[in-house]
Amino acid sequence: MLVEAQRNPVRRVTGLARSTPGRFTLLALLLVVSTLLVGALTASSVQRRSDALTALADRSEPLAFAAQEVYRAMADADATAASAFLSGGVESAALRQRYEADVAKAAAALSTATGEITRSPELVDALSTLSGQLPVYTGLVETARAHNRQGNPVGAAYLREASTLMRDRLLPAAQSLYRTENANVARDLGGATTLPWLELLLGAALLAVLVAAQRYLTRKTNRLLNVGLVAATAASVVSLLWVLGASVVAVSGASSSQDDAEVVDVLARARIATLAARGNETLTLVARGSGKEYEEAYAARAEELQGLLARAGSDKARADFVRWQDAHVRLREADDRGDYTAAVGLALGPGPDGAAEAFDALDTDLRESLDAARAGLTESIARARGALTGAVPAVVLLALVAAVAAAAGLWQRLKEYR
Amino acid sequence: MKRAGVRALLAGVVAAVAAACAPVPSAAPDIGGASAVVPRPANATELTAPPSSAAAAVPSCDATASLRPQGALPAVGQMPAGSTMERIVRSGRLRVGVDQNTYLMGFRNPFSGQLEGFDVDMAREVARALFGDPEKIQFKVLTSEQRIPALENGEVDIVVRTMTINCERWQKVNFSTVYYQAGQRVLVPSSSDATGIESLGGKKVCATRGSSSLVNVANAPSRPIAVEVPNWTDCLVMLQQGQVDAISTDDTILAGFAAQDPYTKIVGPQFTAEPYGMAMPKASEDFVRFVNALLERLRADGTWATIHRRWLGEPPAPPVAKYRD
Repeated sequence: MLVEAQRNPVRRVTGLARSTPGRFTLLALLLVVSTLLVGALTASSVQRRSDALTALADRSEPLAFAAQEVYRAMADADATAASAFLSGGVESAALRQRYEADVAKAAAALSTATGEITRSPELVDALSTLSGQLPVYTGLVETARAHNRQGNPVGAAYLREASTLMRDRLLPAAQSLYRTENANVARDLGGATTLPWLELLLGAALLAVLVAAQRYLTRKTNRLLNVGLVAATAASVVSLLWVLGASVVAVSGASSSQDDAEVVDVLARARIATLAARGNETLTLVARGSGKEYEEAYAARAEELQGLLARAGSDKARADFVRWQDAHVRLREADDRGDYTAAVGLALGPGPDGAAEAFDALDTDLRESLDAARAGLTESIARARGALTGAVPAVVLLALVAAVAAAAGLWQRLKEYR
Repeated sequence: MKRAGVRALLAGVVAAVAAACAPVPSAAPDIGGASAVVPRPANATELTAPPSSAAAAVPSCDATASLRPQGALPAVGQMPAGSTMERIVRSGRLRVGVDQNTYLMGFRNPFSGQLEGFDVDMAREVARALFGDPEKIQFKVLTSEQRIPALENGEVDIVVRTMTINCERWQKVNFSTVYYQAGQRVLVPSSSDATGIESLGGKKVCATRGSSSLVNVANAPSRPIAVEVPNWTDCLVMLQQGQVDAISTDDTILAGFAAQDPYTKIVGPQFTAEPYGMAMPKASEDFVRFVNALLERLRADGTWATIHRRWLGEPPAPPVAKYRD
């Protein structure tokens, strides 16, 4: 019989299960395995959540910001080049500096965005267009300047070619880059806001097993409580509460990040729409009577801008927008009745009722709101990450404690059968 | 039997090891940028067929003959009641279609941002005759192909923009008498060995959309490839960037290019005659007669010669006016 049992492992286990010490041994084994398994699964789940937040904080969000900077700086460079041309003569030092700062910013932000090319192969086209055509664009603008300095009207044609390159190739590529990076942010945020159902389920199952084991022992040994099992249960409860608490804080942080990210997105788009509208306003005047398509593009951008400002703009931004619209209406009236000089004055002049001043004020408002919104976003992501700090080691440690305690608790009872 | 089994096992092991050691290529995408994308002016296209004329059969006419002036030029402030001139004076400014891309004829001075040139000065003379003030003028910049629609839609009162008088255009607009006699020639890089339109077969030649120059290029017997662009300076950009081999249009416009780029030369004889006229809407015949009376005066009192000297050098005798009554 014994020989038979030794030969057949299944019979050995069933044989073991028939005796009480055998059952206790199996129970100890079950408890150790399940505490360790639940600990490992919970730890990996928390780790996943933490990884999503790390990816968000260290990559997606900075990349989306870089993409937004590329887009903004390029739109600004185009608008600035048009303004410099409209002002006539050699462009002012301020406009030149602004253009140079835009190009430097676009190139720097582009190098950040390009570093992640292996992660998003779908961006290869957009990124190679951006980094390949930006030097071509600046080359055309410099050729235009050189001709302008010599009084050659062909300079205007080079500037038109540069602007066409910007509008037909660079800006669409920058837009698709921004859209993709922004979608990555939304995706990572979505991953971080799932409620901790798995952790809760695993923890509850483990507690149920521990309580059942306790009741079984109570029945078998007539002792009310087993210290080891109580310790294991306590460790599991602490682990579950820790994970739930940390996860809930992280999820709430990520949820508020989602709101912040949406505000950042709306403000970024508003800022780019502002720049595009300004570029079109200026080019309408440069075209001198044949700029109907630019004026239509301006109207489309202004309408988009109004919608975006209604969603996320500050009161001051909305007021500045209205001021700009007023100036634009007066500017168009002047141009349409043939007073070109007055129209250019309204477009570029420093007066408080001019379009330039209102545009600059709106751009500044949007930049400040955007900076604040982005600070809010990074802060709520940081808060979410902070909540998860130390959760993984704690879960692992508590799982080990629970396993050891459960095993020790049953070992005490087993000793009584020796 | 046993040996075969061992061999099969060995082969299997070798295959598994080989599969495990097969090289895993990098998933990183290619660098790209193998071919440079050349920037082009907006809406530059190569023509595959000559531009179609609106009317298939244009009745022949004496194109340069315009409407005879009726009496003397009315003085400022005394425009005949109900006339086109009176309506323009009441509107407060003369709306003129000009160019800002043709150096020396109609161009934007990069320093001042103002429009200048031979055509612009001629337009200012019309404003002076109407208002006594050459500044009572609203310029509307037109491309070659926008000239006739702008007149037909009443967006401008007059077009003074290197516009060749021909019978096809007489169908849609009225022309003044000839105020400048140009002719089409060819501009090439100074390194080119082309000698004229006849040596440009299969080469790319640039002209603006809607211009008579483009039609002449597309119909040239040597069969050059016509490339059309919106503005004349776009042609110079394409020539400087090596995207076209030559520009062919009126010698006045070519002279403006040569003045901006010393590495170009004008070659070949004039192969067409391009008489320039000021264009006005078909309905306003009284205004045509008024402008013709003004041109008579400008030719006679030396104003035409002065404007010519300012922009285009020593003046020849002004073109002689022809009338059809």
